[in-house]
Amino acid sequence: MKAWLVSSVKPDEFAEKDPKSGVLFEALVGREHIREVAREFRTQGWFLESISIVDFAECFEIVYHFNKWGVARRACVKTLALKAEGEAASAPSISDVFRAANWHEREAYDMFGLVFEGHPNLKRLLLPETSKIHPLRKSFKGEPKGSDVEDSLRLIQEDTEGFEVRYPSQLTKSQKDYYLNLGPQHPSTHGVLRVLLHLDGERVLDGEPVLGYSHRNQEKMFEIQNYLACWPQFGRLDYVGAMAFNFGYAHLIEKAMGIEATPRAQAIRVLATELNRISSHLLWMGTFLLDLGAFTPFFYCFDDREKIIDILEMATGERLTYDYFRFGGLDHDIPEEMLPAVKAFVPEFKKRLKDYHKLVTKNPIFISRTRGLGVLTKDQALNYGVSGPCLRASGVRQDLRRDEPYSIYPTLDFDVPTMTDGDVWSRYTIRMREMEESLKIVSQLVEKIPAGDVTLGKLPKNVPKGEYYSAVESARGAFGIYLVSDGTLNPYRMKLRTPSFCNLSAFSEMIPGCLLSDVIAILGSIDIVLPEIDR
Amino acid sequence: MTGNPVLDELLKIVLWGTLVILFVSVNALFLVWAERKISARIQLRQGPLHVGFQGTLQTVADAIKLISKELTLPKSSAKSLYMLAPVLVFAPSIAAFLVLPFSPEMPMRDLNIGFLLIFSLTNVTFIGVFLAGWASNSKYALLGSMRAIAQNISYEIPLLLSTMGVVLCAGTLQMSGIVRAQEHGWFLFNGQVIAFVVFIVSALAEANRAPFDIPEAESELVAGFHTEYSGMRFALFFLGEYTAVFISSAVAVTLFLGGWSGPLLPPPVWFLLKTYLIVFVVMWIRWTFPRLRSDQLMALAWKVLIPFALLNILLTALFIQLQRSLA
Amino acid sequence: MADPIKEPQLYKNPAYLQTQSPAPGIVNLFHVEDVLNMARANSLWPLTFGLACCAIEMMAGGAARYDLDRFGFGVFRPSPRQADVMIVSGTISRKMVPCIKTLYDQMPSPKYVIAMGGCATAGGPFKFPGQYGILEGIDKIIPVNVYIPGCPPRPEALIAGILELQKQIKAGNVQGVMSPAAVNDSQDARPAEYKNAVSRADFRKPAAPAAPAAPASAEPKA
Repeated sequence: MKAWLVSSVKPDEFAEKDPKSGVLFEALVGREHIREVAREFRTQGWFLESISIVDFAECFEIVYHFNKWGVARRACVKTLALKAEGEAASAPSISDVFRAANWHEREAYDMFGLVFEGHPNLKRLLLPETSKIHPLRKSFKGEPKGSDVEDSLRLIQEDTEGFEVRYPSQLTKSQKDYYLNLGPQHPSTHGVLRVLLHLDGERVLDGEPVLGYSHRNQEKMFEIQNYLACWPQFGRLDYVGAMAFNFGYAHLIEKAMGIEATPRAQAIRVLATELNRISSHLLWMGTFLLDLGAFTPFFYCFDDREKIIDILEMATGERLTYDYFRFGGLDHDIPEEMLPAVKAFVPEFKKRLKDYHKLVTKNPIFISRTRGLGVLTKDQALNYGVSGPCLRASGVRQDLRRDEPYSIYPTLDFDVPTMTDGDVWSRYTIRMREMEESLKIVSQLVEKIPAGDVTLGKLPKNVPKGEYYSAVESARGAFGIYLVSDGTLNPYRMKLRTPSFCNLSAFSEMIPGCLLSDVIAILGSIDIVLPEIDR
Repeated sequence: MTGNPVLDELLKIVLWGTLVILFVSVNALFLVWAERKISARIQLRQGPLHVGFQGTLQTVADAIKLISKELTLPKSSAKSLYMLAPVLVFAPSIAAFLVLPFSPEMPMRDLNIGFLLIFSLTNVTFIGVFLAGWASNSKYALLGSMRAIAQNISYEIPLLLSTMGVVLCAGTLQMSGIVRAQEHGWFLFNGQVIAFVVFIVSALAEANRAPFDIPEAESELVAGFHTEYSGMRFALFFLGEYTAVFISSAVAVTLFLGGWSGPLLPPPVWFLLKTYLIVFVVMWIRWTFPRLRSDQLMALAWKVLIPFALLNILLTALFIQLQRSLA
Repeated sequence: MADPIKEPQLYKNPAYLQTQSPAPGIVNLFHVEDVLNMARANSLWPLTFGLACCAIEMMAGGAARYDLDRFGFGVFRPSPRQADVMIVSGTISRKMVPCIKTLYDQMPSPKYVIAMGGCATAGGPFKFPGQYGILEGIDKIIPVNVYIPGCPPRPEALIAGILELQKQIKAGNVQGVMSPAAVNDSQDARPAEYKNAVSRADFRKPAAPAAPAAPASAEPKA
């Protein structure tokens, strides 16, 4: 790939990077070549992981990260969109080559005002449709105090006035198909997601998720907070699996600073992350089965989850939005009673898993509701940038703990379950198996946590200037962070590549042709957490 | 009582009417409390605990609150139909109490087609469900009521077919006659097992209880056909559902479990005990299984339950004919 | 009652709030009101309305260990027409505001609002100088009865908030309040340190080598 790039495209800049930046090589190509580059990457089996935009004074830098899932290879290709007086900066769109680019480019348009030529549907993604700001530009210095109320009142008024237009009381013609709005307040959208469904009777013709109802301006906040102050935000992105997001941030900054966490801290980090992965899957299972109409497993899953939360609360003091890791180690050491509690938990949970399999997995109603539903083929999954259990259910053995190992994962013995059907039932089965694998890791680790310190004494003063990318495996897939650091106390740009963002973009592929009940089941099986999509 | 037979009859009607309404209210109160407690215990928790001893006054509090809630009327709804729907869902179920045989002398009117009357009356409730969804002028409500209509029409057939076996054995449609025909053994243990299972499943679907509760599937349709109802109107839907469950269980007890018969205790007590046992099983099923999708539900009715019910009738008829020719 | 959007000043005036007693008629039905308030307090039906992280704690509150159903609070109704109390749990983004207002209007009276968590109370950890994405507290557009602080509050805190609401209802004090008059107050008094865009050429310039006299430092400047 490198050779092709250098010879045929002749990039303006090319550099081989060292591993701490997270990519193999980095190239800057002119905007007329970017589509060709994208196509060649696709042909050679690479996939689009993330598109990030960095705002410089004279141009926008569009950074594409390509990855070959299943193998530890990541490449970074950049192109520039020059800013001109009086017109919007623009760049060619690659959304027909990689479907994953569709939402990334819409978000770039929303946040930066960057126009992508050739994009089929360049609308705002996260901010309200009538909004006029492009917040992540450096020239946007925020809104004055009190503007939150003014803006909200304006939106309420627009909504009330637009009601008659959207829902006229006189229908001029009768039609068989209609639009149904699922959410944003709906018992089963797992947060505030809105899905616009186009239905014919009860059969779905088309569906489109509408995002932005949980947009909490986190990427802008990163730019005025120093690195330590950014810690609480990571717990609140994916609040159900917060340890993995903590891990991602710690891994990024430690790689950038060139330090390594202490051995004891590394072991405890992995232990906490795997326990958190189990509790995240338990919450998913409870809510997924609630969507299908089985009310009782929800309570049993939450009961098990409470046991894990008790254990993690002993260590961190928090129940949900963990903020426990620090650069070089942890915030504080674990108390003595935690490890015996983990040891007691493992056999109990094994027994409970058997109960779940007996009552749920072998239930004929459950199987008939989920088998063969919402099929996502391998090609579609890779094209949309899906990762995590959804990708593993479609036949790709991708797991960042194996592909780009970090921390002490190479020394641990665990499997990566994979299935080929790509339907709802496969995703359910994969997550059940992952719970068993995480339990295996936990029981291995609890015997051999090394003694020692959990914090490094002295840390480097600043993150060195440069660009870094790091990715870890969270409960929902590959969580990546792209950091542009200018050597000062605050990041210049920190872009989060969250797994649910790409997983949800594949949703409209899975639903045409199924019934309304199936839409709910499919949405549940993707396992999304809205705040990590909307950031 | 008074010498005049007409006045006697009138007094009896008034008394009986009051008793029925009282019973239905207390029954609904009890059943809602029982449902919350049973579901809580199945789900590892306690259920209502602080409102009265073990939460027994919880439903009273719910009822009073619902009475005092504002009654909303959506602007674009068909107003008179919207207000009529809850009444249609609840009132016929009360009328069905006329013929329930609590004891040998207690069916208010021991009609010789008593059994058919119950099913005719409970069918009127589906018009109410349809009106509720239609008149609300809301897509979710309409979807819910369409599903309810399809479901209820499909499950009427196996419901009635499964009882034909019992009618063949008993030789009468009169409720007390059917109970008396079980003096030598309840029909459940006398060969009507298939019919019992088909009847219970169909009764669950008729009452929109899980796993057949797609018309009010909470996770899919917000609240189904009663999305736009508030206050007492919503309470009437609720009451109607529990009364329907009670009536179906009472009919199951009459047809298959011997009605009021049993040693020692007075007949009404036996009747109520057996009915509440079936209600408990119905509630247990609700909290155990996931929901069936609408097309799977239809497939179950047309491809599984109806053939089995027909098979049951055939076998019963053959058996009776054999018995007669041998005797 | 007046619409909180059109006449918010009414909801901020304590004198006006005191005049809105439940039964100001000729016939003094206060005993009936007491019974009704007891019933309303013990049979609060919440709307399933989780926005963000606090929603998980609300779900954990309804689950087996903390069991909100003990207090009569367990019947979560998905339709706003059948709910009494709206627990706003999570950050309120500006896109969500019209939906919240619509849901609040659709609830029949008497209705109550619990603002659960830091975000619904006053913006929470997402409040920073010049923020553009959230509404800093739900009490800026609808009246709130009980505020539950925490990020997220534990289920025990949620139960404490519910019991507080029950106490308020039983005492007849059901009128929610809106944020005080000075909505432009922000506790975040930090100056906004927004950086300016640097030129890409400057950014990519390799750093000057460290002066030889200085000891080798751990952090390279490039």
